[in-house]
Amino acid sequence: MTPPQPQPRIPPTGTAIGTSSWAHSPAAKHSHNMPGHAQRTPPDSPISSSASFYDLSDGEEGEYNTIMHSTSGRGVKLLYSKSKVYVHPTPSSKDNIPGFIALIQQKEPASDRRGSSSSSSSRANKASAYLLAWLPESSLGNSLDAYLKVDLSDSSSPPRQSFLVPPPPTSTHNLGLGTYAFAVPVSDIYSLLVRPPSIGWWYGSVVINSRAGNSLPALFFHDDECQSTILQKKKRVRESFDPFGEDGGTFWGGDEVLRWLKRYVVVEKSGADPSVFLIEPTAEDRLGFGGKPVTPTSPKSPSIPSGQGAASQSTKKDAGMDPLTKALKQARWSFLEKMSQVTTFTRRTAQDIAENPKIPPQVRRLMKNPEVQTLQDEFDSARVYLARWAMGMAEQSEKERSQRIFTAQDVLEMEESDVGEFEILDMEAANLSLQDKRKPVSMTEWKGFFDASGKLKVTVDEVKERIFLGGLDPSDGVRKEAWLFLLGLYAWDSTADERKAVIHSKRDEFVKLKGAWWERMVDASGTAEENDWWKEQKGRIEKDVHRTDRQIPLFEGEDIPHPDRDSPFAEVGTNVHLEQMKDMLLTYNEYNPTLGYVQGMSDLLAPIYAVEQDDAIAFWGFVGFMDRMERNFLRDQSGMRTQLLTLDHLVQLMDPDLYLHLQRADSTNFFFFFRMLLVWYKREFEWVDVLRLWESLWTDFLSSNFHLFIALAILEKHKDVIMEHLKHFDEVLKYINELSNSIDLPSTLLRAQYLFRRFQRTVEAIDRKQSFPAPSSMRQRKPPAASDSTAAAAPQGKTAPANKGKAIAATTANDVPDELEVETKVISPELRSLLSRKVEKLDHKTVVEHGGGVR
Amino acid sequence: MASRKKVLLKVIILGDSGVGKTSLMNQYVNKKFSASYKATIGADFLTKEVMVDDRVVTMQLWDTAGQERFQSLGVAFYRGADCCVLVYDVNNSKSFDTLDSWRDEFLVQASPRDPENFPFVVLGNKIDVEENKRMVTSKRATAFCQSKGSIPYFETSAKEAMGVEHAFEIIAQNALAQEESEEFSGDFSDPIDIHLDRENDGCAC
Repeated sequence: MTPPQPQPRIPPTGTAIGTSSWAHSPAAKHSHNMPGHAQRTPPDSPISSSASFYDLSDGEEGEYNTIMHSTSGRGVKLLYSKSKVYVHPTPSSKDNIPGFIALIQQKEPASDRRGSSSSSSSRANKASAYLLAWLPESSLGNSLDAYLKVDLSDSSSPPRQSFLVPPPPTSTHNLGLGTYAFAVPVSDIYSLLVRPPSIGWWYGSVVINSRAGNSLPALFFHDDECQSTILQKKKRVRESFDPFGEDGGTFWGGDEVLRWLKRYVVVEKSGADPSVFLIEPTAEDRLGFGGKPVTPTSPKSPSIPSGQGAASQSTKKDAGMDPLTKALKQARWSFLEKMSQVTTFTRRTAQDIAENPKIPPQVRRLMKNPEVQTLQDEFDSARVYLARWAMGMAEQSEKERSQRIFTAQDVLEMEESDVGEFEILDMEAANLSLQDKRKPVSMTEWKGFFDASGKLKVTVDEVKERIFLGGLDPSDGVRKEAWLFLLGLYAWDSTADERKAVIHSKRDEFVKLKGAWWERMVDASGTAEENDWWKEQKGRIEKDVHRTDRQIPLFEGEDIPHPDRDSPFAEVGTNVHLEQMKDMLLTYNEYNPTLGYVQGMSDLLAPIYAVEQDDAIAFWGFVGFMDRMERNFLRDQSGMRTQLLTLDHLVQLMDPDLYLHLQRADSTNFFFFFRMLLVWYKREFEWVDVLRLWESLWTDFLSSNFHLFIALAILEKHKDVIMEHLKHFDEVLKYINELSNSIDLPSTLLRAQYLFRRFQRTVEAIDRKQSFPAPSSMRQRKPPAASDSTAAAAPQGKTAPANKGKAIAATTANDVPDELEVETKVISPELRSLLSRKVEKLDHKTVVEHGGGVR
Repeated sequence: MASRKKVLLKVIILGDSGVGKTSLMNQYVNKKFSASYKATIGADFLTKEVMVDDRVVTMQLWDTAGQERFQSLGVAFYRGADCCVLVYDVNNSKSFDTLDSWRDEFLVQASPRDPENFPFVVLGNKIDVEENKRMVTSKRATAFCQSKGSIPYFETSAKEAMGVEHAFEIIAQNALAQEESEEFSGDFSDPIDIHLDRENDGCAC
């Protein structure tokens, strides 16, 4: 085994950056033709297959090896520098590292290497005399002053005074974890990926791609902090009233870097991708990047709605989408395509991928990760793993984009499907105050809904719409009050006095109910069967409460001894809130014995109790919630079946492609949504998000079954990954299960809203067409009897009938063959029920028959 | 050729709620124990690659919800099982008493070709709990397993990682034997079978 070779490290957050560079890396092309650099020390060659996995270990991820070009230890001349250029090692802005980008002239312009390559040109040698470097502020020490002075000196030419600074670190020595400093000979730069600031990216950035095919960390120009850029901007406005840079976009720090370089080397904008600037391009490069797109496009390439205020240098075809995101998306899809081709995923193909220089570095790294190596043997899991990884990569880019305030437009940009694009625009245009409506309802606003007697003075719908769209303020106590309305304990038209009375009587009733089971426990007065059931239920509640939301501070403690010495939890202890939870659930068991306690109910109670922090009140809130959730817990699971079936119909109508895929994957039982539907996504979202989601769902503002649109929204978001990677029921189940705690709520809610609107329109359209007066023979598909001959003689002579069914119908109808399309879409009663805002509650008889309790 | 073929062994873990199904699985696969696993809702599985008689096989361990009523929707993953693990809590006699009905339920739902010889394994879990709390003796459990056609019986503690590894080795062996016997009889992934099953699903929903 050869010793590990130094390789470029891409930090985890380099994902977006590194991927984009891949398309522009000419590694393969240039490895054999490197003017003036034949004897350069590593790492010129494509990543070696024999390189040890260990040098890719996580422990070293923060480190960048720089490209070697060391000169003697004496000073080098600082030509240009610019301050407040940051490396963003993680999505968190607190990790950003401020530094300087600088152009440095080496004292000895590499004349010692002149003989090394016959093809060396003087120009290339000249270029090798200059280093483009990035150095963190903290590393500069005494020379900081020189960097600042050069930065602020008149930038139209190099400073007249010569500033000598210590040579930048150009060795491969470990500069300490998280040191991203580098210095690249300009001759080693292949291209720059230049991304001016735009609406999506506050900070413009530059990524340097070396001739060896490596990308250095992206440099972000925080122009608002950079004195020299601010001054230059002002100067431009003052002198020429022209605030724009050379390309017509707003002047920014990156323009300066291009200007510096242009003084010394040829800098050419790629015709194929305007965000790429080639440095000293060869004829070959020009050919390669001249006309046709550089980045591989795939049919799956998402079409992204354009955002306003896009960088003006973008060409029309991708106007509005910043080049990095575009490159990332394309790379991602290409990668997914690659993955789908290697379904057998043998070690061999994995190795091929790992060595393919076209694959982005982080993918190569992933392939060499020991964990993935193991997975490669295990085809099924590998697929799920990679699917998750691919999605993670997409989410990463989403997160990086969320430095700004989240708007509806963003969600659309994240959408890879065409779902709802126009709907949201319609909605936003029709209602300009929608943004305001998406703010949480505060206690102050809530109180404003009521008059002096405590009676609602706005309509119930107005209140519900506000809560549905904005949720309730999590911190000012408004939930405690508002939830009691949403859960049906308070009537919407009640006065403050009436509500007080309700509370009084409900408290009394709770005490009575609680006393009833308490007696039962002590006396064991029921039948043997009943007593057994009670005992079993008590044990079940006990176990479940001790494992429900224990990560929430309220339920965390084990500070009081367990009251029941025989409990399996006698040794670990309990806390007062756990005991209250048990009491409330036992009371519910007493209150609704035809159903009794069923697993999952503790998950439904915990948030209500945590918000109300009063057992009697929380109990009745829970009872209100259970009124609608009862169907989920029936012994025969009929309620769950109905919902899963409705989801089946919904997906069939809204996304036939996905539905067919799920059908092939034997997954149309939608069992993988069981948990989500049973406890309303309690296990999928973070605690705070669950509270927000539930209060929206409780409003029934659009539909009393809006939770099914949440399911559809989740499915749609992951549609591409599912269709590309998941071929079997177990894979789908695993993938969906593991989404837990990684689902973003605001975008999911928004997506669910568009989907609902689209559903509503689809149903309306179908209804309209079906009520259109058509010949009655049109209403039903005719059996294909004696149709073959007539089909051939179909009078319209339009497009050839796609299938026999259509042809047949066309023979009976004189015209409007399109009507047939509609007839295939029948709105089932299950689907129609989704348009209703009325909560479906079970009657007592049903519960008695299917509940599975004692009575 | 047979040795080249990737073997996936599907193992279903059943038993009353709170007996430690999730814990056992996680102890075996991830070598971890947590006292605060939430009650399982729906179903999930973990996979582990193991060597059985010099063959590398992938075990797919299916964890299920313990409350009986949640079993009725589980047909989808019962199918094609190679072994069924029945778990009870040695400190809870009720969970032992229900073993028989769990076994029957499985046979009905999974409908293996040869129910008489379908491999089950019984695990008595939570043996780390103090002796005086124990409700089911080893003797009683062994007698039960004997009477049900010599089902292998092991006592385990997922918390202390006692007996877990060994029990799952036997589970893997039995599952592999089952898989191979199915293979010989040519009764696997028969498209017609699947089709019929799907129709059943349709009715059930």
